[in-house]
Amino acid sequence: MDKIERLINLMAYLLDTSRPVTFEKLSDTVYKSQPHRTKAEKNALHKMFERDKEELRDMGVNIEVRKTRDGEEGYVIPRGRYYLPHLDLTPEEKVALTIVSRLFLGSGTPFSGPAHSAFLKLVFDEDASLSDVPHVRWVESPGDREALASILDGLMRRKYLRFSYRALDAAEPIERTVEPYGLFNRWGCWYLVGLCHTRKETRCFKLDRIVSDVEVNEKKPKTADFELPQGFEIRDQIPWEWPPARGVEDIESVVHFTPRLAFARESGPARHLSETRYEDGSLEVTYEVSDPEHFVEWVLGFGADARITAPVELKEMVTERLRGIVRGLRTR
Amino acid sequence: MTKVSQRLNRILLMVPFIVAADGASVGELCKEFGVSREELVCDLETLRMCGVPEYTPADLMDYWIEGDRVYMMLADYFERPLNLTREEAVSLYVAGGALVKAGVFEKDGPLGTALDKVGRLLSDREKADIEELAERIDVEMSAYTGSWRDIIEEGLQKQQVLLIEYLSFSRDEMTEREVEPLSLVWSRGHWYLLGWCHLASDTRLFRLDRIKSVELTGEPASWEARESFNVPALVGEYKPGRKAHQVRLRFAGREGRRIVEEWPAATCAVEEDGTVLVELRTLNLEWLSNYLLRFGDRVEIQAPKELRKSVRTKATELLKEYR
Repeated sequence: MDKIERLINLMAYLLDTSRPVTFEKLSDTVYKSQPHRTKAEKNALHKMFERDKEELRDMGVNIEVRKTRDGEEGYVIPRGRYYLPHLDLTPEEKVALTIVSRLFLGSGTPFSGPAHSAFLKLVFDEDASLSDVPHVRWVESPGDREALASILDGLMRRKYLRFSYRALDAAEPIERTVEPYGLFNRWGCWYLVGLCHTRKETRCFKLDRIVSDVEVNEKKPKTADFELPQGFEIRDQIPWEWPPARGVEDIESVVHFTPRLAFARESGPARHLSETRYEDGSLEVTYEVSDPEHFVEWVLGFGADARITAPVELKEMVTERLRGIVRGLRTR
Repeated sequence: MTKVSQRLNRILLMVPFIVAADGASVGELCKEFGVSREELVCDLETLRMCGVPEYTPADLMDYWIEGDRVYMMLADYFERPLNLTREEAVSLYVAGGALVKAGVFEKDGPLGTALDKVGRLLSDREKADIEELAERIDVEMSAYTGSWRDIIEEGLQKQQVLLIEYLSFSRDEMTEREVEPLSLVWSRGHWYLLGWCHLASDTRLFRLDRIKSVELTGEPASWEARESFNVPALVGEYKPGRKAHQVRLRFAGREGRRIVEEWPAATCAVEEDGTVLVELRTLNLEWLSNYLLRFGDRVEIQAPKELRKSVRTKATELLKEYR
């Protein structure tokens, strides 16, 4: 008998029964085709049963131990805990959950498979078609796929990770063992946060710079390798914050946009206060700026299509940068 | 998860759909579960070998197929799907958190109450464990609040053709296109509208911050194959072809590192004197020139010559404007 058939039979029996089933009884039914006469055979069979229970538990199926009427140890799968309860979602909740469960669909992240099966479970009781719900998708660059899956595994089971990492300022990659504490994504890039045993500090590792496979510690798979530090907050570990901390004083600035790119006036790091449109289609926009440097850089990104007209300090910041770059080009 | 448990998982999720209603469509099952008809039949044949003691024909599950529909009997113990697993719950919480941070949903709206209901499926201990885990996975999508959001969403919902004005990145020119909206896509730090473009007769991605205007045309979308495209393959902007310019830059400070963080196709090396050498490939020197202006005297543009020339022209002209 195939292993999968054995597992299905075990589940069917333990779900169907109203009384706990003893190991003896299982040996005569589900495990009948396995030898179980001698003591050694019985031991081997018991180990097989333990492994089967383990495998089902990893899938989320819990086999519970209950006393039989005769006071023996028996096994059941309680239906109340196995079956997905009714959720009774409102139409709005259904739409929200559909969008959420589809976000990672086919994304190439380790979330995509589980999110899809979660979605199918959640719509099980709903007969209405959800095809008109708008899609929002996450698309991953293919490179990170396998590393992400291993990291998530280590994160969920609290197991050490081993990989080779080339830091930005290092010429050669270094082999590291890391206790994975958290995972974050900024600007579309994944970063692992963890205690690096090699450097003895908590660090961020950009997935793009991991140059080897990520190995999850295989020893003692059922026990966690480490405890999380008290009060660990992933937000504290992220070396950049967005939006940037507000400056002491906000300043007002006016920017003139050509008609060509005026549509992008609200994509920047400042609050839009008011605007005037001119006959030629160009636009003068007043902003409240809390981070002048960031603001100036954003305006410069428009090239000749945007120009700061006030205040003088910001205009000087711009001209200083422009002169700098021209100087650099002359010296070579 | 082992291969056996992956297959078992699929079977356990599929059977309820066949048992519960009046059978299920073979075609739809294959599509939803990502299997071929042969694989589906193979799964069903396996089930036919299984059941409860005494394993007589009356104890084993059975199925039959009539036309496109498949029916099952004697499988009532698998009439409902397995409760949510840990991985499934974590995926929902992480995705939910990301979409709240992106502003697609409000925290206290229907998403919040729906996730509460999902939380009730779990025991208190499981729930605490999963929430703590989801807290440690912080996925930030930049805010999705462009001025066109409402119109694009309406187009997606009503499946209507949109008329958009779009600034093409590689050609640096504005084009007007009719687009059938398929979905919103987040990839490597940007939001895109994925759509079937009438101008290109192909699926295309449009970065939201380069869309100049959007209008609903009232015309229904006609393109049928809504799901059969390969989205990851479409996000091809990161692999410039052979025509791309090879760019070499040297930065005086840490800025080079920032570029490498933002630019997936870039490499960087820290020189002995502390400067950072960055190499990248791009098709669009026009855009890169604008981007480099902000670095002032902290960048030295080494190659190509066209880039040096373009930056010099731009900076000089802008300086005149500021005078």
